[in-house]
Amino acid sequence: VSTQSTWGFISFQDMHRVLRYTRQIARLPALCRAFSSGPPPLKMDFSETVNTHEIKLKEPTKLKKMNICQAVNNALDTVLKADSNSYVFGEDVKFGGVFRCTVGLNEKYGSDRVFNTPLSEQGIIGFALGMAAAGCTPIPEIQFGDYIFPAFDQFVNEVAKYRYRTAGLYNAGGLTCRCTYGAVGHGGHYHSQAPEAHFMHTAGLTIVIPRNPIQTKGLLLSSIRSPDPVIFFEPKILYRMSEDMVPEEDYEIPLRKAEVLQEGKDITLLGYGASIRQLKMAAKMAEEKGISSEIIDLRTILPYDIETIEKSVKKTGRLLITHEGPVTAGAGAEIAAKIHERCFLHLHAPIARVCGYDTPFPFVYEPFYLPNRFKLFDSMLQLMEYQLNHIHIIKLS
Amino acid sequence: GINAEYMGQEVGMIRNAIKKAFGMRALSTTWKNMDNYYKYDYTNKMEFIDHTMRFPVFRAMDLEGNVFDKKYEIGDKETLTKILNMMVTHREMDKVYLSLHRQGRITFYMATLFEEAIGPCIGAAIKPQDTGLLQYREQGFIMWKGYTPREILHAVKGTTKDFNKGKCLVFIYANPERGILPSSALIGSKIGHAAGAGYAYRVNKEDKIIVNFFGEGASSEGDFHAGLNFASTLGSQTLFVCRNNGYAISTPIYDQYAGDGIAPRGIGYGMPAIKVDGCDPLAILYATKQARQMIMDRKGPVMIETYSYRGGDHSTSDSSDAYRTKEVKAKLKPYIDSIGDPIIRLRKYMEKKGWLNNSEEYVTKFGEQVRAECLEIAKEVDATPHPHWKEMLEGVYKENPWHIKEQHQELEEHINKHPECFPLSSFSKQPTIHYHKLKKLS
Repeated sequence: VSTQSTWGFISFQDMHRVLRYTRQIARLPALCRAFSSGPPPLKMDFSETVNTHEIKLKEPTKLKKMNICQAVNNALDTVLKADSNSYVFGEDVKFGGVFRCTVGLNEKYGSDRVFNTPLSEQGIIGFALGMAAAGCTPIPEIQFGDYIFPAFDQFVNEVAKYRYRTAGLYNAGGLTCRCTYGAVGHGGHYHSQAPEAHFMHTAGLTIVIPRNPIQTKGLLLSSIRSPDPVIFFEPKILYRMSEDMVPEEDYEIPLRKAEVLQEGKDITLLGYGASIRQLKMAAKMAEEKGISSEIIDLRTILPYDIETIEKSVKKTGRLLITHEGPVTAGAGAEIAAKIHERCFLHLHAPIARVCGYDTPFPFVYEPFYLPNRFKLFDSMLQLMEYQLNHIHIIKLS
Repeated sequence: GINAEYMGQEVGMIRNAIKKAFGMRALSTTWKNMDNYYKYDYTNKMEFIDHTMRFPVFRAMDLEGNVFDKKYEIGDKETLTKILNMMVTHREMDKVYLSLHRQGRITFYMATLFEEAIGPCIGAAIKPQDTGLLQYREQGFIMWKGYTPREILHAVKGTTKDFNKGKCLVFIYANPERGILPSSALIGSKIGHAAGAGYAYRVNKEDKIIVNFFGEGASSEGDFHAGLNFASTLGSQTLFVCRNNGYAISTPIYDQYAGDGIAPRGIGYGMPAIKVDGCDPLAILYATKQARQMIMDRKGPVMIETYSYRGGDHSTSDSSDAYRTKEVKAKLKPYIDSIGDPIIRLRKYMEKKGWLNNSEEYVTKFGEQVRAECLEIAKEVDATPHPHWKEMLEGVYKENPWHIKEQHQELEEHINKHPECFPLSSFSKQPTIHYHKLKKLS
């Protein structure tokens, strides 16, 4: 085909020119793209090693590099192999899932156990609860946290109350719902939500959010085997971004326990999911200013581990809580109220919550919306300087 | 025993082939026949399909107990006597318990006037290992599965002898030993559960179905559509029974739907469906027997829509005279007369068969007996307290987390300081007996 010949109204020569030009454009840094999440992150290695205090491995050297997606796949494979009455299902699960978390499982275990469901979240969770009542271990998937709301009635009114209202004769413990969660860079209203606060208000549910592949595999296995129903939110932005050397064997990480990631004496930083990365970066920035931070990953949002947070705040006297979801009546609000109750006289400053704003999750404005490391760092400085900036009037009686 | 013939799979396949030849899309004999997908007949005639076959309602006998076809007589004397006794027990128990509510001795009750046949007949037609998942107007079914009027009243009041320890409002029956899955007050939410449980029975290759009851009002809920679609698309051994009794609280069926009832929706979702006279015990028996066989053959769900009439109020919180005025009742009279009373129809049939002499007298006498027993039960339940208040904080999780333990402690301290502020005399001082230690209350 000669370069002078045309396809429609554009010549092949022109097409080549256009392609070369766009390739140059594509090489420009991410700053140019309107939907990026702001300035590129600090060069920091977020990969972790196994916390041997918590996880006792039989073969500690047998590790495999996995991202969160692969860790989920590995955990599901482990469960499907060990428990012949376990099932993985949801929308598009059969071919591997829109995030490729269930790749290969249908080929391995068959369409009775790993299957597509029709497009109905209320159907998926209702169906899963019926299976749990019949003694199975159903592991349904909700494709996006934003779409969990049609199933809200089933979760709040049926799943959460199953054990209670039958006085223990039945329970929904076999049910573990996996759901994607949180900001992804370009998700907008309906692919970015962090709905854990809506569920935190429901007694009977357990909510778990991991930060990296090692945590994901251990927490997911614990959640599936827990005698209570669990909603497991997976931060989708970390599906491929977060990589660790994950133990190949079957291991569990305890639920209802927070983890102290680094010890410090000036300020306690509390977060979960993708926010942990922002906290780590903010802590590094603060370290250069001489502030020693203690970072806690909450992990189980409900029932949350008050003891670990309380112990840390009594040591540091300052608490900063962060989460992506809106600040009003978010998870941070409950924890702040409880810590105020328990650590009032130990606090050097009011508890700070650096969270999303009270707006629907915005599309192009995402870099302004998210509680990033700059907002966290700023808030940390304010907390450290609180007593210097405020005159305390002591009334003598 | 019950003998029933069912057209086997082979005959069904021939019928489907004939239907296909005449351009009718056959429902596959086993679920999800791949020939039904991506293969369409095209037509050059543009025609909106604005009419369908009008579903007839199946009845096996008339109001006087005359059977239309011998093959519908699948109930033997023992089974039908048990069904009749149970229907009479149900009706008398309802009358007594409604009066208890008027006396303020219980807080809430729901009666089942004219729908007493549905529960026992379906119970008799299915196998003992089959499970049930109810909405709320199916005491007949749980009675067939083993509940007694005494246990029902204890559950209504929520006493120490209630299996569910008074945790939830009445009719949340749940008992794994008797195959009753947990219900709830939410309308329609159990339909998806029944689809899931039926699926579990299928993939575990169990000879077991789950029967799910709901009213025609529930068929408007989103859960109904999700549940039916899941059951037929994924293949669940579920029998959906829609009790179409004409009213959802005050909403008559002409404010509830515009289609031809609920059975055509079953067809739309890919499952065989039938409309059955809900006051005809033999019709329900026969149709359910066929339905169960069909479910096990095609490994997919089946729907039965029963047509009856809600003779009483929705519940003790409802006064149906407010919306079922004299004019409305006059308009409904032809329908109500056409379906009659299941107790009368069954006793007339049994009298014709020679299994019951003076059936009217028998029913009256038996009813008086039941009434006396229920009044005794009421006295016993009056004297039985609610479980210990500590039960309120148990069972939220398998093991209570710190915050519930903290709340328990706070409440206990408060009650100890101010016992006069709480109705402690109505609550037991003893820790609650766990279910497995309870014997069946006859």
